[in-house]
Amino acid sequence: MKIDTGNFVRNAKLEMQNQYARTFLSLLPPYIAARRVKVMGSFPDPAAAQELSRAIRAEAVARMPDLLEEFEKNAVAAGARVLWARNAAEANEMVLSIARERNVTMVTKGKSMISEETGLNDALAREGIEPFETDLGEFIAQQLGRPPFHIVGPAINVPVEEVCDLFMKKAGMQEETTDPVELGYAARLFLRDKFRRARLGITGVNMAVADTGAIINVENEGNIRFNKSSPRTQVSVMSPEKVVPTTTDALHLLRVLCRNCTGQSISAYVSIDRGPREPAEIDGPEELFIIIVDNGRSRLYHDPKLREALRCIRCGACLNLCPVYAKIGGYPYGWAYSGPMGQVLNPALLGLEETSDLFNACTLCGTCREVCPAGIDHPAIFLHYRALEVKRKRRSSGRWETILFGVWGTAAAHSAVWRFLYRLARPVLAVFGNNGKIEAMPGPFAGWFGARDLPVPARRTFRDQWRESLSKQGGAS
Amino acid sequence: MKESAREEILARLRQAPKMEIPARPVMPTPREVLLDRDGLTARFTEELTRESGVVYRAADREEILDYLTEIARAESLTRIMMSTDDMIRSLDLPAWGERQGVSVSTAADYPDRESYTRAVFDETDAGVTGADFAVAETGTLVIAHGGNQPRLVSLAPVLHVAVVGIDRLVPTYEDALSVFYGDAGLIPPAHLTLVTGPSMTADIRATAFKGMHGPRRVIVILAG
Repeated sequence: MKIDTGNFVRNAKLEMQNQYARTFLSLLPPYIAARRVKVMGSFPDPAAAQELSRAIRAEAVARMPDLLEEFEKNAVAAGARVLWARNAAEANEMVLSIARERNVTMVTKGKSMISEETGLNDALAREGIEPFETDLGEFIAQQLGRPPFHIVGPAINVPVEEVCDLFMKKAGMQEETTDPVELGYAARLFLRDKFRRARLGITGVNMAVADTGAIINVENEGNIRFNKSSPRTQVSVMSPEKVVPTTTDALHLLRVLCRNCTGQSISAYVSIDRGPREPAEIDGPEELFIIIVDNGRSRLYHDPKLREALRCIRCGACLNLCPVYAKIGGYPYGWAYSGPMGQVLNPALLGLEETSDLFNACTLCGTCREVCPAGIDHPAIFLHYRALEVKRKRRSSGRWETILFGVWGTAAAHSAVWRFLYRLARPVLAVFGNNGKIEAMPGPFAGWFGARDLPVPARRTFRDQWRESLSKQGGAS
Repeated sequence: MKESAREEILARLRQAPKMEIPARPVMPTPREVLLDRDGLTARFTEELTRESGVVYRAADREEILDYLTEIARAESLTRIMMSTDDMIRSLDLPAWGERQGVSVSTAADYPDRESYTRAVFDETDAGVTGADFAVAETGTLVIAHGGNQPRLVSLAPVLHVAVVGIDRLVPTYEDALSVFYGDAGLIPPAHLTLVTGPSMTADIRATAFKGMHGPRRVIVILAG
């Protein structure tokens, strides 16, 4: 996948002009967020359930190297082949050589964020192996050559007319229609044929269970089940942080994941694989490859703050509540991950240089942290990135900013100075007031007012009024 | 020799500073655990019905077959593929099919994988299977796949009918999965699925519909 995180501001401005997407963004994320709250209520104690999932994720990340080895041992004992890749190129090459050795010219794929990350589809296509995304939204996004708009609905913003054109051209649809259901069935028919013929199926992994060596996938459409049932070879690609200690832990995370992701108490399908098919089985893969792709994670694991990013379970709850995402949608984030999840993960995995706008485009409101079932403190990580950026002199704080924050810091730490400065500033601020609001100011403050207003300070401060009322009451305290 | 990717990744992870493992909160007992059989049945039915699944309650083999007859008629079924687990085998569906004019096959009827795949994809109106457990929590079927429980029979046909003994109705996922992945000594299956209602999507214009890739309809007959 092309990385376009460097053009965040330009793309965000473009997307804000997109009325269709804007309408969508005003409806869908709040709807999923409301469903989430409702279905979290089916836990006897939702807060405890959230706390437990956070504890499980923290433990899984803390014990990651041990859990990975345990997982590998058990998966291999069950007959799976576990391969380790340092980076995207190595991982893609592994899939390619598996495909080449089996003379495969077409593969079907279940939605996998890690393969978005490694750009697997492009790598396959370059070698003449045709990849078909089989999740409906992902199929549309792939055929349009776009990144995911939303982690749950990668193409949910694409107008039906555009889907219709696309399916007429690329999915063998016979008759034009703009009915979403008819469009869905056209894709069903087209992809069903691929499932039947595919000899290699590729999936991601939602969880890898250390103590059984099993991998777990969560989905609604059934495309992942097809990928694990019809082809003779299955390749499942995972990042190391997918590992969890036990099946019991996985089941709790499963409940929490589905509730946070789509507001369902469980997805239509959950499939658990432990090794390739048994000899008595007529379908299912004869070989199961599990590729563990590091792609920079073992490096960021050394930074205790960044390590927290590895707790993410890709539910997307943070997207649905983020005020920034709600305005711009998923495209400006420029890579596999969008919303607060992307603001944490993209800089962690791609480095800070090309992703600076992502972690700066945040008001630090903290809604993502509050909702996160994995216990990630997004705002703290954004501040960490910003501090690193300034420390490395990648973003100059500027003369004015330095002076202002110096004054601000001194004033905020000394109440007498604060009161004195405020007394001076009030009449000055009042000059710019208009109907009780300051909407613009000249000089270094102009930028601040670009998107904000400031109320005109009251004629008399609360402290003055308080003192006055006390003296009227005869100084009683 | 250059270090392998595996050694390199694991070594780098191990060199990182250790971090504390947080204590886990105590979770209250799930509500379903307190339900009796009727309560579990009601819960299972309510949950699965919400996902557009249909639940029938059959007292014995005869009633199960009556339901199947009704389904076959309503859905105009002519070709069924069945799993060969104990529950389904006990129904003797081939004999039933002969009476009803419905052809009933099993995976074993096909000479090779290719012809089986073609049949289950393109020449089957419904898959009839057992299920190892029914979970009341969310109206979920737990199916451990194997020689007698092919993967595609409950997935590829547009209708999936599952017959489950009422004694297999359990409160939570843990009750079902601990049997396979616990210390009970059973060998875990290569493939196990949790199925809650039909296949679905809402990927185009957020319009939800059933039957995206898998079955459009799921019917569960709780037996006994």
